[in-house]
Amino acid sequence: MAFAESQNPLRVYRIPQSRYIDAVRWLSPVSPSDRFAAIAYFDADTNSPSIEIAYVDPNPQSSSPTLTPQSSWTSPSRISSLRTAHSTPQPLLAAATFSGSLHILASDLINGGVMESEATVSQLGFHSGPVSAVDLREGGTECVSVGEDGRVNLVSFVGDSSKLNYRRIFDSNGLVGYTAVKWASPSEFATGGYGFGIQWWDQRTPGGPVLQFKGNWCQGKTSGIVHSIDIHPSRKHTCLAGGSSGTVFAWDRRAAQQPIVLSGAGTGEAPNSLLSESEVWEVQYDRYTRRSNIGNISSTRILPVMICSEDGILAVIEQGEEPLELLAEPCAINSFDIDRQNPSNVICSLEWESLAILTRS
Amino acid sequence: MPGVSSDSARGALVPLSPESPAAAVYPLRHGLKSPISRLSISWSRGNSLRVSVFAAPSSDGSVNDSDGGKVVEVKLGGGDGEISEAHWRRMAYGSVSPFALLQSRKNAVSSLSKMSMNSSPYDGDWWDYIMEYSKDINALLVNQKSASVPVLDDPKSVITKGEEPTSLKAAWELLEMFYAEKPSHSWLPERLVDWLAVNIDYDSLFSGTHPTVHSKLVDFQKELVNLQVVEDDPKYWEVMSSALAVGWLNIVVKMLRLHGSYRLDQLSNRETENGLVEAVAVLISKMPRMRLEHEAGKLGECYKAKPDFVKAWEKWRGQINKLDSSAFWFQCAHQQTREGLRSMLQIMLGNANSLCSATYNWIELYISHFLYMRPLTVGLESMYSLAQKSIQLKPMASAHRLMGLIIGILGENTEVVLAECLKGFGPWMVAHAIELLTAGSDHAEMLLHEERQNLGGISIEELHRLVYAQVLSSFPLTWQIAPIYLISCMKHGMVLLQILLSKQPVQDNQLLLKSIEICRLYELHSVTSNIMKIAGVHHWKHGRKGSGVFWLQQARDEYRLNRIALQLFDSVGKTISDESFKQWEGLIQLLGSDSKTAGGLEFLHKYRDFKKSLRQIHDGKATDSARQAVESLISLMKNPSTPQRFWLPLLYDSLKLLNWKERPLLNVSQTNLLLNKLQELSMARLRPDFIESELPPQALNSVRLALGTNLGRAILEE
Repeated sequence: MAFAESQNPLRVYRIPQSRYIDAVRWLSPVSPSDRFAAIAYFDADTNSPSIEIAYVDPNPQSSSPTLTPQSSWTSPSRISSLRTAHSTPQPLLAAATFSGSLHILASDLINGGVMESEATVSQLGFHSGPVSAVDLREGGTECVSVGEDGRVNLVSFVGDSSKLNYRRIFDSNGLVGYTAVKWASPSEFATGGYGFGIQWWDQRTPGGPVLQFKGNWCQGKTSGIVHSIDIHPSRKHTCLAGGSSGTVFAWDRRAAQQPIVLSGAGTGEAPNSLLSESEVWEVQYDRYTRRSNIGNISSTRILPVMICSEDGILAVIEQGEEPLELLAEPCAINSFDIDRQNPSNVICSLEWESLAILTRS
Repeated sequence: MPGVSSDSARGALVPLSPESPAAAVYPLRHGLKSPISRLSISWSRGNSLRVSVFAAPSSDGSVNDSDGGKVVEVKLGGGDGEISEAHWRRMAYGSVSPFALLQSRKNAVSSLSKMSMNSSPYDGDWWDYIMEYSKDINALLVNQKSASVPVLDDPKSVITKGEEPTSLKAAWELLEMFYAEKPSHSWLPERLVDWLAVNIDYDSLFSGTHPTVHSKLVDFQKELVNLQVVEDDPKYWEVMSSALAVGWLNIVVKMLRLHGSYRLDQLSNRETENGLVEAVAVLISKMPRMRLEHEAGKLGECYKAKPDFVKAWEKWRGQINKLDSSAFWFQCAHQQTREGLRSMLQIMLGNANSLCSATYNWIELYISHFLYMRPLTVGLESMYSLAQKSIQLKPMASAHRLMGLIIGILGENTEVVLAECLKGFGPWMVAHAIELLTAGSDHAEMLLHEERQNLGGISIEELHRLVYAQVLSSFPLTWQIAPIYLISCMKHGMVLLQILLSKQPVQDNQLLLKSIEICRLYELHSVTSNIMKIAGVHHWKHGRKGSGVFWLQQARDEYRLNRIALQLFDSVGKTISDESFKQWEGLIQLLGSDSKTAGGLEFLHKYRDFKKSLRQIHDGKATDSARQAVESLISLMKNPSTPQRFWLPLLYDSLKLLNWKERPLLNVSQTNLLLNKLQELSMARLRPDFIESELPPQALNSVRLALGTNLGRAILEE
């Protein structure tokens, strides 16, 4: 396993927060030097969940970055999923909760990062139980939410009505539970769930998933749950998924039911190529690449992927190469986000109530 | 906690203070108007109590908002006032890695020493490991809010405020000094002097009400701004003598230089006076100290070897004596200066009365004795007797937790040290301090590792680790750390770990998976499958059938899968129509083709295949699909996992196949099999527990007729 330190300089700063962090996302900056992050906290002492916008000062006098809280919004329940849409200067946030509600927040980064709740869906019947994942359509006005209750809801927020309306796209009545969702195009999205299954949906073809990827490829050895999906805008035919047993795989919709396993279960290779054996909580395509531009990489090759895991690994995986380990923490890394504008910056949340900010150069 | 609550008369190992504090009163704010009929109290997370207050139902039968009850949480105790909950958790998180690293090194060292009998386990890198551990832990105890350091050096500021010390940090440093540093006991007195100086702001540490040298300094600092002629103020001399007594040489020299005789306009007519002040300042800054080295900028001259030190010490004292008996004193006109300086000389000469009057509590007196009377004190025994003497001279009304700890350490009484740690600083301190106590002392190691009957067969070390693990387990954010400490407990650790894991909530997938991950690390497979079963049933009960089936499958729980299969079939019979097929598709895929893990649900898989081929017949893709459908039908009917109540619906669905126009699709033996099943079904209908399927009443007859016809055609064909 390759360690990052030996190959490229990496600066890591850990910032204790004294509160549990449920999710963390970068916000698109107003100016190139600004850095803002949205952090979903849970204060265990007072039992209060909240979302805060913080200004991340990358280089104050004391050499390590500081977080300056700008504004805070109190959530009715803990945040189960947090996504941001990259529109400036008022980035939108979609926050889903464990009590089954969805909140759209807008933050004005020019005027001190004031955060306002734009709209809320919390009607009975929106989801029963927690919303397990939500995704905001890039620059759009729609988001899709899924839950283990088997409901797939589309929420559109045009205009300024504070009560959102949602449209039920599908309801499996609990026979299938969904744990991850990601937009692919304005009409298509992918969901993931139990047994490493992935479903492909197209709003133009209602009534159920258009395509299903069967998760039984690991032949009963170990099965698991998909925790996170990512789809690259230039490779919409490929779904990248991460889940249990250190599994990271890609499913090419055009190809058959055989996945491209990047790490973990089903690789059948020597155990030393195993990056992690525990839950992969999040996967994202790593847009930070020094080698060549993405266009040159053959379209059958999977682009570089960053993952974080329960056993404290933050790493970059490239198909057919040794994974590059960026962090090996003594506690779980529950979520991370790569800065869109400046992909050398990564922020991640650690189990032991702290944030880590990485700068690659 | 075995053994702890047993009375002290029987020699409890962890003495709890007999003077129990006065009962604390916690007001409950439940907001209920109606009278309370019942209270229920249970433990919540951490040291909170959950109190459920039930209101008495109103007598007139009307329904009010306040009817029913309220659940309130009551936080017991304020914890340690010094350390916030968040800081406590940060310490708990941070100490995991050093603790785990030390344990693995200990194991490596002990297995190594087993291999080579003659080498002692405690040599070479051992002390480096202990020191590394101690430094790592110590680094966690720094209070986050450190005071800002002033940029300008104020000439009138005699004391600077560094980071705020906590008594926990001070206590850890004491333990580190006495137990972790490679035995260098000849430097110990000087280390104590440094310890007191580092924890300079110790009046908050020892006692808020009693004066200390430091508090006097702080008071004087405030007055200093308004003083025109410092040397006229008796406090100036008093405070300087005190600071000198505890060895804060830099502060004393800085204060001496504030003396009015240094001012340019007065220098000419106070020449002798100034000479004396400067002579004392120089003597102070040349004080010989027996220690390794000083921090840069600290006054005093260091000597490592005893003979060199003794020589320098004698010479220095000679110089002081010479100055003391010099004739210049008579030429000094300023009375306060003359007396003040000479009393400082007495302190430097080790005059017992001067030392006693310059210090405010026994620990300061103790330090001053080391500095000026017995710089060569070696060994804990003589340090202890000196401490006893100091306490006699300056008894303290209330014993501070640090004082008790110092006495315990000097008295070489491991039990007292442990008890003081527990009483004053809590389970975290004890669990981690034991590593230092046992580091170099065979006696302490034996004492703490010996298995004791009155503790249920565990050692004191294990007891304290278990106690700490229990504390960790009771908080939702720290329970994941507890396993690290539990697995280091040989006797009861594993069992308690299993209980801890089994008690974790299963509702949330993320938490559930975190528990399962811990099970995987410690190879607790039975606990894993239990947790999965609980999760499966939980999800199933809450209507998340897919999640329920998944977890039960992961747990390979065939019994429950079969049970829930029966319930699933009920809804299959009703809802597997063409529209709802998409809902089922996902679940059937989840079940996979591996029949072993699917339990009775295997039937669903085949049923889906059968339905699919039937539908294709409807779509018009004739004979091949029909053949496939027949094969699915036969395998379904042959399979014992197909519930009996599905037999008739299956056959009724296949009427089209039985009456296939072109040629009979079922051969003789296949038809016979189906006829036998039909016969069995007719017999079963007579039993009282038979469940009638929702089919038209003539269904059975039409199937029987179709089968008969098919049999005839098949016989003819063969």
